[in-house]
Amino acid sequence: MTLSLVRVDDRLIHGQVVVGWGQALGARQLVLVDDEVFANQWERDIYRVGVPLDMTIEFASVEQAARRVPDWDASSRRTIVVLGDVAAAVRLCELAPEVKRVNLGGIHPAPGRRQRLPYVFMTDSEAGALAALAARGVEITAQDVPTARPVPLQELT
Amino acid sequence: MLATWARTLIVQASWNYDRMVGIGVAYAMEPLLRDLPGGRANGRYAGALKRVAGFFNAHPYLTGMAAGALARVEHDGVPEPQADRLRRALIGPLGSVGDQLIWAGWLPLSVAVGLIVAVLASVPAGVVSFLVLYNAVHLGLRSWGLAAGWRAGIAVAGELAGRLMHAGLRFGAAAAPFAVGVAIPLVASWLLREFGGSERLGAAIVGVLGLVVTRLLVPPLSGVRLGLLFLGTAVVAGWLWQ
Repeated sequence: MTLSLVRVDDRLIHGQVVVGWGQALGARQLVLVDDEVFANQWERDIYRVGVPLDMTIEFASVEQAARRVPDWDASSRRTIVVLGDVAAAVRLCELAPEVKRVNLGGIHPAPGRRQRLPYVFMTDSEAGALAALAARGVEITAQDVPTARPVPLQELT
Repeated sequence: MLATWARTLIVQASWNYDRMVGIGVAYAMEPLLRDLPGGRANGRYAGALKRVAGFFNAHPYLTGMAAGALARVEHDGVPEPQADRLRRALIGPLGSVGDQLIWAGWLPLSVAVGLIVAVLASVPAGVVSFLVLYNAVHLGLRSWGLAAGWRAGIAVAGELAGRLMHAGLRFGAAAAPFAVGVAIPLVASWLLREFGGSERLGAAIVGVLGLVVTRLLVPPLSGVRLGLLFLGTAVVAGWLWQ
């Protein structure tokens, strides 16, 4: 399986993803799944700047990404998928049952969100949506960098 | 413009975990917002400052680029949600480009050149050449970034991915390891100039052993813990020696 990581991180592409996870997993391809970034040329240009020369980047809407998941799974290039919020991750998992694991990498304060870990803040409905996914067999853990301990969803309530 | 440039020099003065350099960047870009239509009494002036003063982060030398681009966007009348998305989108690239360019490129390169000059010419000349070299690019980058951001506004990615940046990144990636590679043996032989053969051999063995142990142990054991371990070993060894 070469869809190495499906990550929820509201910073999208940044050092922890590119250097931390990219090198640890030997990933060659990044996919930024975000409907708004996908729709904006200037936004895509900015995120492209943060990608190192030895990695490629693709942009996709959630619907497109769901259709491409089997391709990424079958590809020989290790791929990291980054999503901006829990809602997008839940939609992706519903449309693409092939996604079996989701990593929570960085969800930052917003109105209604409560701190669960130093880098994970969620509203109760976000946590509930993830719990529903977990009940359907998706393994959900929080882990900011590869050397940290993966924290299972049950500990984030 | 000049006021903004000067203010970016102290952009980290109000750094904190919650907002990082947000307040610093808002303070730096404030002079560029004063002539927004309606002036300081206008809601746009206060609104723009308030939004930027939230969470923001970037490499300190590139905060001028952010201040320039975000202020230009306000002048261009870009809708607020888009200005916010630009601000959030800039965090990653301005951090990673700055880190690659400065911390992984220009800083080691300047240090290495400074050390080479110190060994080949004189120690004060080495110190001066490091300071001049490093700060020429440091201050140049701040100035270029602010001007480029202010010019480009929402299209700031074009500047950040432009030919000048690309050349800088490529040059740093190649030149920094080369210069460090030249500097290390030069400095080692200079430090050991008063010692005989066996001491030199001893120093070389310690150096190589240290490198091997560090490479083997650092990911599982963090750098700080490894350092403490070495310190502890040295204390015990010294105590037994006596």
